[in-house]
Amino acid sequence: MITVKNLHKSFGDLEVLKGIDATVEESEVVCVIGPSGSGKSTFLRCLNLLEDITAGEVIIDGAQLTDPTVNINEVRSQVGMVFQHFNLFPHRTVLENITLGPIKVKHLSEKEAKDVALPLLDKVGLSDKADDYPDSLSGGQKQRVAIARSLAMNPKVMLFDEPTSALDPELVGDVLEVMKDLAEEGMTMVVVTHEMGFAKEVGDRVLFMDEGVIMEEGDPLQIFDNPQNPRTQSFLSKIL
Amino acid sequence: MIFTIMDTAYIKSLPFLIEGLKITVSITIIGLFFGMIIGSLAGLGKLSKNKFIRGFWSVYVEVVRGTPILAQALFLYYGVSEDLIGLNITSFTAGVIAIAVNAGAYIAEIVRGAVYSIDKGQHEAGRSMGLTEKQTMRYIVWPQAFKRMIPPLGNQFIISLKDTSVFSVIVVHDVVFMAKEYYNTTFEIFETLVMVCLLYLCITIPTALYLNRLERKLDV
Repeated sequence: MITVKNLHKSFGDLEVLKGIDATVEESEVVCVIGPSGSGKSTFLRCLNLLEDITAGEVIIDGAQLTDPTVNINEVRSQVGMVFQHFNLFPHRTVLENITLGPIKVKHLSEKEAKDVALPLLDKVGLSDKADDYPDSLSGGQKQRVAIARSLAMNPKVMLFDEPTSALDPELVGDVLEVMKDLAEEGMTMVVVTHEMGFAKEVGDRVLFMDEGVIMEEGDPLQIFDNPQNPRTQSFLSKIL
Repeated sequence: MIFTIMDTAYIKSLPFLIEGLKITVSITIIGLFFGMIIGSLAGLGKLSKNKFIRGFWSVYVEVVRGTPILAQALFLYYGVSEDLIGLNITSFTAGVIAIAVNAGAYIAEIVRGAVYSIDKGQHEAGRSMGLTEKQTMRYIVWPQAFKRMIPPLGNQFIISLKDTSVFSVIVVHDVVFMAKEYYNTTFEIFETLVMVCLLYLCITIPTALYLNRLERKLDV
């Protein structure tokens, strides 16, 4: 589903990604962990070209992202993204947040979009909030709306950029629960996270990144219980 | 008694001045309408990734903000319109253009600041769901930015309204021009100018009060 070959990314003189190779299979849940500044968010943001790629290739469902003939908006409409700070649209109601993409990108009618949105709101447990504005929601509720908003585009892949890092601890569970349900339904997911419990339980594979490269990757149980790379060992010993 | 109040120099100047006020307000409103269009283009142009577009609008903004509106009005009316092109536009039209060009530069900064102040994540959320750059601006960034523009735009209205007073030099028949015409024949200079100031205040103070209230209501 996703193939990354020798991906490099620099901000000016600072090289953040120094050659990443990775693949994500269909229905696979890949968790990306690593210390802050390791480039994991940048890596994720390269997957839908929110960051320009300096060198290398990213291929999503057959589309080569750096190919100038590829319609990036088309690709993005099939790649959902959930942000650390939710980025809900404050001037639109919860329902309008979710229906915007389907109406403007997929050209659904307002009613069709609503028929897509309402079951999704129900799925994330927020049917009663459809007409509220984001400002009146808690962080956990906002993030669940953001997930529903991404799902409304019926994406083939979902990218999560530290989806629970900005939440109060007691609100993290609800969001992780929604993500777990998604994983069980077979959604392909790439999750940058500090939730090691989630990575261990839900992840099919874990990538450990440091200093702009993937230092180690493998089965979550192996990575967490028997890390091979000294960097991984030292990182895990600090946080577990 | 009523007869004597109505008969004072203050009240007698009013009919003339109000004729001028109509012109003042018309020029301000029409000028700002076009100023808003120019300012939006310029403000977004200054945020453009294209350095030529950015450069062009930056020069416009700096030139206009760095020169007095009196010089701009003379330049447009006598310099460009009469001397350079030889086109006889009315002084009213020249006034409208002068306000549009002048306010446009200040509105550009209002627009640029407001758009720039919207969290980058809003833009990213729009683009990442497949909206184009234009759609993201139109449906996500602009509506939020516009709310933040309303108070400074109101302020610009007050400034431009007062700025039109210099257009008497290009023979725009605004309040100030009418006042001069009036007191040159009646010699009631003090009374007339008091009324001129009162007429401006009748517009500016309620506008300012309304803006204060709006600002609180919009919570910006």
